[in-house]
Formats: sequence, C-alpha cells, structure tokens
Amino acid sequence: MLILKRKIDEEIRIGSDITIKILSVSDNQVKIGIDAPKSIEVYRSEILAKVKEKLIEATERSKEPIKNVAKLKINKVQK
Amino acid sequence: MKITTYQFGEIEYNENSIINFSSGIFGFENLKQFLLLQTEEGLFHWLNSIEQPEIVFPVVLLSLIDESYPQKDTSEAFGVVTLNADPLKVRVNMKAPIYVDQKNKTGHQTILDEDKFVIDYHLFVEG
Repeated sequence: MLILKRKIDEEIRIGSDITIKILSVSDNQVKIGIDAPKSIEVYRSEILAKVKEKLIEATERSKEPIKNVAKLKINKVQK
Repeated sequence: MKITTYQFGEIEYNENSIINFSSGIFGFENLKQFLLLQTEEGLFHWLNSIEQPEIVFPVVLLSLIDESYPQKDTSEAFGVVTLNADPLKVRVNMKAPIYVDQKNKTGHQTILDEDKFVIDYHLFVEG
C-alpha cells in the first residue's frame, strides 16, 4: 500500500481524472472530498461489504416459502 | 434456449429477454446475464442468473414501497428481498437498488448515499 502524508487542503491525484482532497481532520475522523468522473463508483467499503453479504443471504433464502402474506400490507414509506 | 430454475422449473427464453449487467451485481460481480422473472401473485420478481442458474434471488419494485424512490431514466428500481418463513421478518434492501431497463435490457446496481435508505427495511407490516 502506498502511504502519503497530507495536510488539510492538500490533494492526491489518482490517474488523470480522480482527485482526493483532505478537507478537515478531527480526533479520529478525516473528512475527504473526492472528485471523479460519474463512471467511477465511490462507496464506503463497509457498506459495500454489507450489501454483498445481504445478496448472498437473499440467494440462500430464495427457497423460503412465501406464505401468510395475504393479511399483511406493504410497509410503505410515509411522505 | 432453455434454463432450469428453482421457482419456475425448466423455462424457455430467447436472447431478447436477457438483462445484461455489464458490471455485475454486488456480490456476484462475475455474473453478467440474468432473466427477470415474475410470479403469478405478482409482488416479487426473480433475478435468475443465466451463467449459473442456481443463483437466483427475489426482488421487489421499490416504487411499491416508496412512491418517490429515486428513478433513473427509463429504468425501474428493484430492491433485493431476503425472504423469511416469518413474513414480518422479510427484508428489502432499499440502499442498493438494482435498476433494470426492460426496453434496453440492461441492468445496473448502485448504492445510494442518503442515510434514510436502509439495507434492512421491513417489507411487510400487519394489515
């Protein structure tokens, strides 16, 4: 892994069109700004990991019977 | 062409019904081609891999849950459903929608940044 030290407002350039800027630093949190083309997807790694985990679980549970849903209703998001 | 599916048995499909996921789906990045199948009762659709027919999972149209769910062009947003023998424990992933364009036969999954979209949304409530 490449390790660089950066100060607030300093940037890192990755390839020709991705820029990462250090915006602020507090005790144990760093706020960073990312400029990248729309085609580059930027996600928090732990959320991506959870999404993958959920899909595997959904696949494993795809054979669960669908029953007793007639008397239930869809949990609609309230506006 | 034929494929054997768990929910529908052996079904016939043609080239035109294949949904192409050029970047795959999070968790199955290597699978690029799926069929979007619908059951008669209508609430769920099933995304069934063509390359690995044993890979299948239910999805639900997110507009049925949230009328103002973010739309994308001509695509429909589907959420991955985790079934459960207890229907009150059935969950839907509102955080990582799978957008399917049924006209152009393309699919793409993304992750929405807003905190209000959760991974573990309860699909059903008592009527």
